[in-house]
Amino acid sequence: MTNESDSQGSEAPPEDPVTLRALALLRKAHPDAVVDAVTTGRHPYIEVTADGLCDACLLLRDHDELLYDCCHLVTGVDRPDDQQIEVVYHLVSYARLPDDEYRKRAEKNDPWVALKVRVPRDKPEVPTVSNVWTGADWHERETYDLVGVIFTGREELRRILLPEDWPGHPLRKDWEFPVEYHGVPIVPPEAQ
Amino acid sequence: MSPRAESTSTGEVHEGQPLVGRDLRTEELVFNMGPQHPATHGVLRVVIKSDGEVVRSLEPHIGNLHRSSEKIGEELPYYQWLPYVDRWDYLAAMNNEHVACMAIERLGGLEVPERAEYIRIIVAEVQRILSHLMAIGVYGLDLGAFTPFLHQFRERERGLDLLDHIAGARLLYHYVRIGGVKRDVSKEWIDELEVFLDAVEKRLPDYNTLLLHNHIFQERTCGIGVIDREVAVRWGVTGPALRAAGVSWDTRRDAPYSIYDRFEFDVPVGPSPIAGVAGDCFARHWLRVREVTESVKIVRQALGQMPEGPVMARVPKSYKPPVGEVYVRGENPRGELATYMVSEGKDRAYRIRCRGPSFSNIAVITEVSEGLLLGDLVAMIGSLDIVLGEVDR
Repeated sequence: MTNESDSQGSEAPPEDPVTLRALALLRKAHPDAVVDAVTTGRHPYIEVTADGLCDACLLLRDHDELLYDCCHLVTGVDRPDDQQIEVVYHLVSYARLPDDEYRKRAEKNDPWVALKVRVPRDKPEVPTVSNVWTGADWHERETYDLVGVIFTGREELRRILLPEDWPGHPLRKDWEFPVEYHGVPIVPPEAQ
Repeated sequence: MSPRAESTSTGEVHEGQPLVGRDLRTEELVFNMGPQHPATHGVLRVVIKSDGEVVRSLEPHIGNLHRSSEKIGEELPYYQWLPYVDRWDYLAAMNNEHVACMAIERLGGLEVPERAEYIRIIVAEVQRILSHLMAIGVYGLDLGAFTPFLHQFRERERGLDLLDHIAGARLLYHYVRIGGVKRDVSKEWIDELEVFLDAVEKRLPDYNTLLLHNHIFQERTCGIGVIDREVAVRWGVTGPALRAAGVSWDTRRDAPYSIYDRFEFDVPVGPSPIAGVAGDCFARHWLRVREVTESVKIVRQALGQMPEGPVMARVPKSYKPPVGEVYVRGENPRGELATYMVSEGKDRAYRIRCRGPSFSNIAVITEVSEGLLLGDLVAMIGSLDIVLGEVDR
């Protein structure tokens, strides 16, 4: 396994200033909402509780030093080993441009922040953020469609890519290929 | 069929709309545009509720082209999954490959040789030129001007031939690989590329005579389909549509990936100085024309700086990046393509998530199309320049 960049010595990895700043302000405003945080490496993130998600998102959007005005992406990751589903939000800001100094310091070189919410797999309910960022609407519908995360507090959570009567949510790790769909036989990839 | 809503347009006169007069009683009608419709640029179905010629509300229905590339990514090793990436935005396959390869390489901490980085930039920018030429020409077609469409195809063919020479395919290349690019470019190819760049620069004023400075074109696009700054950002609109709305953000400049920080180029921002307002159809069209010139600049600089050397890093046969996650974004012709990848130390990804720019760009029409005339809706969808392969993935 080649892994040159990880073997650069024993000094502490650089912290991501963008995530650090968001974390400090979040901890101050909503101390109960923050569960955990990773502030180094290529993918720093802040883990929040499902109940505290909306408060956290509103703070990230409205605080003068943060101004994350766009929800770039919503992802659901199925973790059957932990009996959990992770929902990951990637947020960007167009109101505040990054300074040159940031680019030199941070390993990820890109001023987004990531929020994570972990919910039980048998009751994957997460409050919606489509009322915080309108653009999250379709991303939530897609995450429901493919991963089966239930977003609560929003109107009509319908499928967006797959047909209404499609069986199950294909990106769940235990999803099984249906034998047929409306009389059309489906050949799973391992049998092709 | 239409719900029999008892609405009349009495006393409600819309500007520039002679057909719906004061005494003409109209009623709301629900109908489909697409999935097979020339103005939807692919298999997009839009359910429109209209009153006469005026759009009251609409609902895009997507998914007709869904091929589950995220699911396939969990089933195949990284290098076997790469060809599927070409099929997201099939007019910008090189840009897709670039972003996807960057994500896979960053997972494993793989360094790409200098020359390969330059070749990646060159092919990505050539691809951007071709994609924008297509957008410019087809937009004329949407509005009833057939000539510019044929003109741009002449230059586009030349560009496709260039990419064909190095990749062996015209549209879906699989040229950018994990650790570098498939093969080196020759001196002759670079000479041909320079001829192509000159031709594009020489011909751009012709297109502009036909469209940008054309009075009819301006009448059809200026002030039509305005997506203002606040709406664009809130919906996650990116790329030319975001910049046309007045947001000065280009990922190549503001969060430089690959080696984009080594080049000098301008990031044009709407409104256009020629006509129109910020965020209208005209501004989006004008911005693409301007970006072609900037891409030509970047390719010329890259050709000047490109060093000799290998074009492929040493990548193990069975590439297994360690446990970890990455989020990589890049500026595609249609906006920001982003990939979130989760590795569990296997030869295939645990989870791959793709943010197709067209997905968010088309979502915005649910809000901004209210009150548009049907003919202007065609102008609106056309100016967003969506590719359905990327909306549905």
